[in-house]
Amino acid sequence: MNFPLSMSDISLWLAVMAIILLITSEMLSSATSYSGHVVIDKKRLRLVAIALGLGFIATVIIRIFQPF
Amino acid sequence: MSREKEDKTSELTTTQYLIETIKQLQVENENLKLEMKKLKGTPSGKIVLVFIIPGALALTFSIINNSTILAFIGLSLTFWGVLFFFVRPIRYVQSSLLDSTALATYTTIDRIVKDLKFKGKSYYIPPYPKEVYLPDYLKGLKDPVVFVSADTGGMPSLEELAKSKFLLENPNGICIAPPGLGLLLHLEKEMGKDAAKLQLTELCESLPLVVVESLQLAKEMEMKIENNQIYLRMLDPAYKNLYGTEERLKSVHFLGCPIASAVACALAKATGKMVLIQKDNVSPDGQTIEVWYRLIEGEA
Repeated sequence: MNFPLSMSDISLWLAVMAIILLITSEMLSSATSYSGHVVIDKKRLRLVAIALGLGFIATVIIRIFQPF
Repeated sequence: MSREKEDKTSELTTTQYLIETIKQLQVENENLKLEMKKLKGTPSGKIVLVFIIPGALALTFSIINNSTILAFIGLSLTFWGVLFFFVRPIRYVQSSLLDSTALATYTTIDRIVKDLKFKGKSYYIPPYPKEVYLPDYLKGLKDPVVFVSADTGGMPSLEELAKSKFLLENPNGICIAPPGLGLLLHLEKEMGKDAAKLQLTELCESLPLVVVESLQLAKEMEMKIENNQIYLRMLDPAYKNLYGTEERLKSVHFLGCPIASAVACALAKATGKMVLIQKDNVSPDGQTIEVWYRLIEGEA
């Protein structure tokens, strides 16, 4: 009954999610005529994207000091 | 007699026609209501549940079965569910409502100005900074006000301004709260700075960014400093209809729409000088609004 994902799996997942969200938030904040109308809190989206990116960096740092 | 009959029959047909039209409109109204309900009935709250419940289940099963794939699916579904919950907007309303809510204020000011037969101009008077200590009897000086003068000459004294009076006698005029005061507070909150602490150049750079990108009150906004004048150009501002209403509001030209008024308040706060809306110009298609502000030397 253990959680099946290892640290490297979570690291990869964080990286992929961070990239997806960062691209989305960048596309939305450029506010073209279409994406400018998307009803979403763009600031929070960017915040989440950055948080995930930082999470990924944290896993990388952990990996440097404590290889898993 | 035959004419009367004809009249009656035509009246009957008109009534029937009107009844049918009303029925049709009622049906249309009901359909529109249903459509609105459908649109309102899909809040992001439901989407959140749709993602989170299967996500949580997948995560639980992944732990029981020790399955990596289920764990990835569960993690992603839960994450997106939480994300949808997190990035929900506070509340959005149609921008056309902004005009309607501001219309009453401008109509009232128009009536006051017309009733008092004022022909003067409006001066945005800079308030004292919030941090500065003022005795109770001078606290009125901390409120940003617009002085609408009865004629073109004279400024109210500090004592008169401190009393927070509406009707001023020397010089003749009225002191009102700027229509863009609330918006200015919002702009300052978005900028994270008090306008009084900004330089004029900084203000001209940061204010258009906040108006266009953060609050989306206009499609484009430009501010330029030209000697003692400041030029403002707004493309498709949220309050553009105020300039072209059937009522032909006069006050919107000398006070500015709430955006122009908020800019005037910010300029007064940043420079510590009185600001006058010298002139404005609306493009023939009503999409572009240009405002010229003048900074007036010397305090009130």
